Amino acid sequence: MEAFLIALFAATLRSTAPLLLTALGGMFSERSGVVNIALEGIILFGALAAAVSTQLLEAPYLAADPNSRVWWIPWVGVLIGAVVGGLVGWVHAVISIRYKADQIISGTAINLLAFGLPSIILSYLYGNTTSSQEVVNRLPTWGVGAFQFSPLVYLAFLLVPVTWYVLFRTPWGLRLRSVGEHPEAADSMGVNVYRMRYAAVILSGVLAGLAGAYLSVGFLNQFIRNMSAGKGFIALAAMIFGKWHPLGILGATLLFGFADALAIQLGSANILPGALIQAFPFVVTMLVLAGFIGRARPPAAIGKPYEK
Amino acid sequence: MSKGSPGLFLNRLWLPLASLGFIALLAVAPWVVANRAFGGKGVLVTPWSVIDLTGRASTLPELGWLGPFFVFWVVLATAAALLSFVGTPRQRARGLYLLGGVGLAAFLVEAYLFYQAVWAVNNTALAEGVSPRRLPLKRYTLSLGAYAGFFYSLALILAGRLQLPGGRAFLVRWRGVVVPLVSMFLAVLAGAGVVWLLKDVPAPEGAGRLAYLTIKLDTVTYTFQLLFGPVLSLSGIFQSLLLATPLIFTGLAVAFGFKAGLFNIGAPGQLTMGAIAAMLVGVYLPGPRVIVLPLAIAAAAAGGALWGAIPGWLKARFGAHEVINTIMMNFVAASIFLFLISANEYTFFGYTVHLPFKYPGYEARSYEIQEEARIPMMLHLLGFDGAGPGHLSLALPLAGVLGLLAYLLLRRLELGHRLLAALGAGVLGYLVGGYLPGIPMEVSPSLASVRLNGAFLIALFAVGFYNYFMWRTKGGYELRAVGLAPKAAEYGGVNIARKTVLAMAISGALAGLAATHYVLGGGIDEYRLKQSLPTNVGFDGIAVALLGQNTPLGVFLSALLFGVLLTGGLQLNLQLGISRELVTILQALIVLFIAAGGFLPRYFVDPLLAAKEEQAGKEVV
Repeated sequence: MEAFLIALFAATLRSTAPLLLTALGGMFSERSGVVNIALEGIILFGALAAAVSTQLLEAPYLAADPNSRVWWIPWVGVLIGAVVGGLVGWVHAVISIRYKADQIISGTAINLLAFGLPSIILSYLYGNTTSSQEVVNRLPTWGVGAFQFSPLVYLAFLLVPVTWYVLFRTPWGLRLRSVGEHPEAADSMGVNVYRMRYAAVILSGVLAGLAGAYLSVGFLNQFIRNMSAGKGFIALAAMIFGKWHPLGILGATLLFGFADALAIQLGSANILPGALIQAFPFVVTMLVLAGFIGRARPPAAIGKPYEK
Repeated sequence: MSKGSPGLFLNRLWLPLASLGFIALLAVAPWVVANRAFGGKGVLVTPWSVIDLTGRASTLPELGWLGPFFVFWVVLATAAALLSFVGTPRQRARGLYLLGGVGLAAFLVEAYLFYQAVWAVNNTALAEGVSPRRLPLKRYTLSLGAYAGFFYSLALILAGRLQLPGGRAFLVRWRGVVVPLVSMFLAVLAGAGVVWLLKDVPAPEGAGRLAYLTIKLDTVTYTFQLLFGPVLSLSGIFQSLLLATPLIFTGLAVAFGFKAGLFNIGAPGQLTMGAIAAMLVGVYLPGPRVIVLPLAIAAAAAGGALWGAIPGWLKARFGAHEVINTIMMNFVAASIFLFLISANEYTFFGYTVHLPFKYPGYEARSYEIQEEARIPMMLHLLGFDGAGPGHLSLALPLAGVLGLLAYLLLRRLELGHRLLAALGAGVLGYLVGGYLPGIPMEVSPSLASVRLNGAFLIALFAVGFYNYFMWRTKGGYELRAVGLAPKAAEYGGVNIARKTVLAMAISGALAGLAATHYVLGGGIDEYRLKQSLPTNVGFDGIAVALLGQNTPLGVFLSALLFGVLLTGGLQLNLQLGISRELVTILQALIVLFIAAGGFLPRYFVDPLLAAKEEQAGKEVV
């Protein structure tokens, strides 16, 4: 029993990390007033970029010596995953800030793109449409005993106090929040609304890209089509449940991560069917949105393009 | 026409630039493909060279006219470019119209000459006793060089219209068509870029850089020829209609929401719940066909309506945003779906619960829908029983034609009477058509294998319902009012909360009806619920609705377009080894570009500015 609980705890932290990274990213974007439902797609783009770049980088080394391990390769892969995530975030930003498009439509389009484009790239690189070649150089794991975690897991939890500090204790954070609450007022105080929003959306892309990189070179060792499996949407749900606050988000993602870990760890054990546990985060979010479990109030200017 | 004067701007910069690009394209692109082998290799002919990738080009058609035509197009393009610097707008417009008309005629002559030349070669071979299966030239087409002339001519005519006063207002007035078309054009360009980057081409040895460019351009052209290819054969059209059917439903669902100011992103979940409900009725409700089939169809609608109404109610009652809720409901529906058909025995905290729904075996699927609840195949409805010779029954076509005619012609009548008359005419047509002798026809095996079923007719009815309800009834008027200006509608006495629930319920019902195609019509190869239920068409509905600009006809046409592309995508995979996901990319890009207003200037996208433009246009004229 004790071993089971320890394994469950460790699995919870592992399941939480990508949700946490993504949800914190989404928080920046939404705090600046831009809805980002593209997070799901950005995770996939980040995962694909990390896996493919790691695999391409390590290929020459493996060709020379099949047993060679190069420590920096997965890190570069993670970096590229984050950069690609940021780029996709930038696309969302351009469409929804510069061209004042409906942010939800733009996000949906990016999600659709993340459904199709990987297949084409994978079939070009590896001759199949569903998964990348497995990478040998994965991210290392740090820790003791049963608690062996990818560095990105530590990073995710470390980011909670950091984002809290940035958001609530720095001038930048104040400007960010003001842009999302009342852009006209912020503008009249000399805050560049567009620049703040661009920064926030790109940052959300970077964090979601990191989450994707964690999935493909940290948690697994390859990119699999649709490997995000709704994590972007769960993160979105956690962000709402956490009321757009880093600590709330930490709690919500831990809860959802726990549900996820429970579903995996229980397998076909006899407490609750896995199919129903998977629906848990979504039902909870709907209850929260409806105000049954505390009231969630989004930033006031969310979803509205800013007209100067 | 003084301020901003887009005509002049277009003239001095864009027309010469476009002409230059056009000439460059003419010089590089293949003009015709004389013979195309499987795998995309072809015999490409440009005005100055023949690139034979098949390695088997023994005979070529007579193509000596390509050179003179090249000279002709260069002269025409130069004339058009020079024209933009002289004369009054009216003179320029006249000149451009003339040049465009001449260009179109030239394109027709080219097509005529090409097909004549090909047939001449093939006929000679036939006369020499070659069997029709071994003709020297098979699968020949005009190619990019020739098409470019066609599109350039069209562009010249459009540019001519823009020279005239009110030209910009003319474009703005048609923005409902212009924005989707421009977005589609950009998406095709971007898709071409993807193919250009990711598709290796076989260059013969010693081929120069120019030849390499030609081959690349041919590959890209061929990709899109394949994608649009299904319209050329009857079985291709049927297959396209098959794939379009669920898209019509989900597209209508999303469009319905948009019109009421709601973003229904939950079509996948509503479709799933519709499928579950249809399965429950179709499998377990005993009774005669006249009762079970309508009930099963109604169940599909009801399942979807329930799943749409819940987020609607949550929005109306608690102000919870429908986008987030519909996304969440998608996942909940997927969970319920899996729960029902993946196992029959579950344990809740130690208690065992038995369910009856899963069909025994490894695969997650339900029991089969009973015979009485199945929607017949379209071919069957048209009077055929599978492949082979048969008679095309006139009952259904006549019913459709008469019903539509009655509806269109009896404009004088009050709406209710008009609908009744149309219905009567339809029934009359059905009866009369049933008695008329059918037209003898041969059904090919490939056509008979397409599983297009009666759900397509339900989709047509849904299009009609959308048009009728949204634009011809008080309820629809109120919904559109809520969508355009909720505050104003509320002051006008509309109960917004109730309208929100109603709109989401109808939208969900439309999405749920897509299940009639999949489950009751056997659209997924079997008459049952299976894990392979492609719920993603719910998201594709967003692309369909946007491309169709939420109009009934637009949704129908864009669903057909995507049906064609998806069908062509199969060929793409077979012949060129390019994943058919290219179509998904095109869809995504179309959505993205339409969201950005096709990157057109603000006065196209902003309704107020657009109205101002139109007004200015009227004053000038």
